[in-house]
Amino acid sequence: MLRLDATKMILSHLKDEVVISNLGPTTDELWMAGHRDRNFYTYGSMGLCSSMALGMALSTDEKIISLDGDGSLLMNMGALATIAREKPKNLIVICWDNEEWAQTGHQKTHTAFSTDLEKVAIGCGIDKTATVRDIESLEGALLRALAEDGPWYINAKIEASEEYPVMPIEPEVTLWRFRRTFTDIPTGHLTAMPEARP
Amino acid sequence: MPNWAETILEELKKKEISLIAFVPDISIDRVTSLLENDPYFHVIAATREEEAIGIACGAFAAGRNAAVFMQSSGFGNSINAITSLCTTCRFPVPIFINLRGEVGEFNIAQVPMGRATRPILDVLNIPFYTLDTDHNLDKTVGGALKLCYSSREPVALCMTPLLHGGKLA
Repeated sequence: MLRLDATKMILSHLKDEVVISNLGPTTDELWMAGHRDRNFYTYGSMGLCSSMALGMALSTDEKIISLDGDGSLLMNMGALATIAREKPKNLIVICWDNEEWAQTGHQKTHTAFSTDLEKVAIGCGIDKTATVRDIESLEGALLRALAEDGPWYINAKIEASEEYPVMPIEPEVTLWRFRRTFTDIPTGHLTAMPEARP
Repeated sequence: MPNWAETILEELKKKEISLIAFVPDISIDRVTSLLENDPYFHVIAATREEEAIGIACGAFAAGRNAAVFMQSSGFGNSINAITSLCTTCRFPVPIFINLRGEVGEFNIAQVPMGRATRPILDVLNIPFYTLDTDHNLDKTVGGALKLCYSSREPVALCMTPLLHGGKLA
């Protein structure tokens, strides 16, 4: 399974659901698969994609899909514990697991050895999980996750893929555009607001 | 007359900050306990401080104002999250930091990071305000929060034992 094909398949099932992407090629390929205002592209802060997704899930009732990666999740496995503790029904974490740090020279990650991130998720207390190895299985798991309450953790084993150029995405614009779909106060500037709402 | 912890809660509410991500600290337990017991706030315990920064940024992206509470050692853990996420994307996240290594510190291991916290904030160009007295606390906290949102950048509020009484050890 190639990440770009899988990302296109995911987008084909979505309307206004949020997709937040891990730094590097996951973000670039989400942009290539189809830019939408409800895509949040990250550029740095390795490990925080699913933590941000948790913050989003606790702030809206809409479905939030985090496209994380094995290297990044290994850096912040506590994110799965906090997701399990908070149990947001609307959160779906899909981890692209290529068993390597592809961007830094294809060094093998721990998932190439004994670490099973689905079992980590289960151990943290996430009940709805899957490991998928082809696009049809991912599609089946995604449709279940979109229809049923979560939180969901789907570990998606992917193949090494072609390296694409860095997409022309401006971080500040991403936040402004994305937040604008939730509130008419896109910057959070409060001077135009009443001091307190009833 | 509200105490320091109640004053911080009032100022958070005035700015509609209703999601709090934190890693516990005994010295500021008084404020984080108040937050947890107040239904206005959703308080999330993170396993690590950079995770708390990510949660707060995610909340803000989805339209909800959010703040973070941690101690200075945890600020050390979260510097890249603050720079690569808050500063790069312009997330206005108020960061409440309990400064260890201040007057009355008993643990030598807490001194270097505590002492380095404000100089590091300075080189990161993140404004910080030291909260060490009840005097004008509402104005300092409220003003710092307003600056945070008007500048669309993180702002740090550094609490010392002179404010909260230090570690109860």
